[in-house]
Amino acid sequence: MDVFSHLATGFSVAFLPLNLLLVLLGCFIGTLIGSLPGIGPINGVAILLPLAYALGLPPESALILLAGVYYGAEYGGRISSILLNVPGDAGAIMTTLDGYPLSRKGEGGRALALSAISSFAGSMGALLMMVICAPILSQFAVQFGPSEYVWLMIFAFTCLATMVGSRPAKTIVGVLIGLVLATVGIDSGSGVLRFTMGIPNFFDGVDFLVVVIGMFAISEIFVLLESWARNDLGVRPLGKSFVTVADLLAVKWVVFRSTVMGFLIGVLPGTGASIASAVAYGTEKRFAEGKNEHFGEGDIRGLAAPEASNNASAVGAMVPMLTLGIPGSGTTAILLGALMMFNITPGPLLFEQRPDIAWGLIASMFVGNIALLVMNLPMIGLFVRLLSIRQAYLVPVIAMLTFVGIYSIHGDSFDLFFMVLLGVVGFLLRKLHFSLAPVILGLVLGEVLEVNLRRALSISGGDWSVLLDGPITYVMAIATVVAVVAPSLMRSIKMRKLLAKANEVED
Amino acid sequence: MYDRILAGILLVLSGLIVWAALQFDVPFQYEPLGPKAFPVILGILLTIFSVRLIIKPDENSWHPTADIMKKLLAGLVLMIVYAALFEGAGFILATFLVGSVFSWLFGETPKRAALFALIMSVISYFLLTLLLQLNVPSGTWWAGVF
Repeated sequence: MDVFSHLATGFSVAFLPLNLLLVLLGCFIGTLIGSLPGIGPINGVAILLPLAYALGLPPESALILLAGVYYGAEYGGRISSILLNVPGDAGAIMTTLDGYPLSRKGEGGRALALSAISSFAGSMGALLMMVICAPILSQFAVQFGPSEYVWLMIFAFTCLATMVGSRPAKTIVGVLIGLVLATVGIDSGSGVLRFTMGIPNFFDGVDFLVVVIGMFAISEIFVLLESWARNDLGVRPLGKSFVTVADLLAVKWVVFRSTVMGFLIGVLPGTGASIASAVAYGTEKRFAEGKNEHFGEGDIRGLAAPEASNNASAVGAMVPMLTLGIPGSGTTAILLGALMMFNITPGPLLFEQRPDIAWGLIASMFVGNIALLVMNLPMIGLFVRLLSIRQAYLVPVIAMLTFVGIYSIHGDSFDLFFMVLLGVVGFLLRKLHFSLAPVILGLVLGEVLEVNLRRALSISGGDWSVLLDGPITYVMAIATVVAVVAPSLMRSIKMRKLLAKANEVED
Repeated sequence: MYDRILAGILLVLSGLIVWAALQFDVPFQYEPLGPKAFPVILGILLTIFSVRLIIKPDENSWHPTADIMKKLLAGLVLMIVYAALFEGAGFILATFLVGSVFSWLFGETPKRAALFALIMSVISYFLLTLLLQLNVPSGTWWAGVF
């Protein structure tokens, strides 16, 4: 079997001492960041990205570290959901619904253990699906020409617009802001300077890292400033309870269904963990109707479903990123940008040309998830104690890390001022219910979209009908139309309320 | 209301984008689309959606109190000061000053905030320079002094 030789390649990369160390470090930091209320995976990855870059890590090692933070945070997010009733990240909002009631009943230990195992099962299941799907998808995607890529991106933005954020128009505006930012700098096709306003720092484009850190980490500091008083909540004691075999058997099919759903939603471009967990929770709630259900009052099914699903979606979101170069979520958009900074273009050829990166990452995720299970079962007490870190100590450290990280890229204070400015813009956008993930997606995909559009029209000599030429483009055009129509159908099956709740805190 | 203000700004911006894109001086061009078309398309789309937001804005749900605005402004000033000091005053001094005020803003007593910021800035300076070998400024203002 081909898959096994690929996996062997991957594990030979993942088991290098440096990479082993980085995956453990990434998972630890990820769990920590995920568990601290307010600082989600996006911020964690954003803060660490310039550090990983400045350290001169090889690309596969940097990706292993950052991905570890990403899926580690999906584990960590549940800790504060269950114990504080404050979701640690967007994907963990649904976990509060049944997790917090359990801990109020003094069954915090049971809830944490059960959710850790559900998370682990979700991740592992999704990883297995990824091992099977990713090579097939990348072989299929090799046939994609420029027109297909243009459609793929339009499809991604449409999915984003109709499923993420409070309003489609706002999401599209976010995407457009990102796309416009991506056009700044020297145009690679003609050498013309675009929108640089005569500032030399913009000649080779707006720095991706500065935008990401400014929009997410700096705006997060403002959000924390605004809301720090809310965080003086007491941590509920864990209790002596632990998960039982009967619990696990009771939720096995719930976990299985949620994993499959989470993975598929994760693969869809633009839709991330928050939507996956909301859909899984909603589906299981309807499945359980009339069957002794206590959803919302501490039902273990309502705890297992979103946790399995959000971890599965974090893995699923990696699939389009690695195989198509289209990120499946806000955080994977940052991972994609990270790869581009190392001059590696993710896409169908990645699996053939750089198997060490693609399969090394996949193998490291198997290792990382086992490590996370260990960290989250016996070592859970440590993270619970870290929950009570005061923001008075946390925020100065975040500010310091962002400034050091950005300064170390070019050694230029201009970047620092620009970062703070973007932080203000990001904060205002968030306050007006624009989600920021679309901006980053637009920024990352802007150049690819423009290059492919121009290439397609070069091939056709300026004839726009080249965009609807061939079966794959037809299918994608139809898929785009479905993505526009589907959410209004979802509305009719009562999923609307849950989705709206999931969107309150964006990815 | 805020939605309309923002959409208005975006509308002006999209006009500027289209105008600036049409001004690009393109000496030679190998392909039919060129560097102008993509920004122009984006500008037009941005115009359409900004107008949509102006016609149908969301209910405004953000009502910052004067107290919160003061905190936010303090945070902003603090970060601008940090950016201004970072290179000149050097990492340790800038981080100590800004870190202690930040810690104090988040409810720590002045004495303990200063102590925490001092420990944080010194320890992280050596961690970042020696262990991670990052480019951390030691302060250009002091370059002649020491």
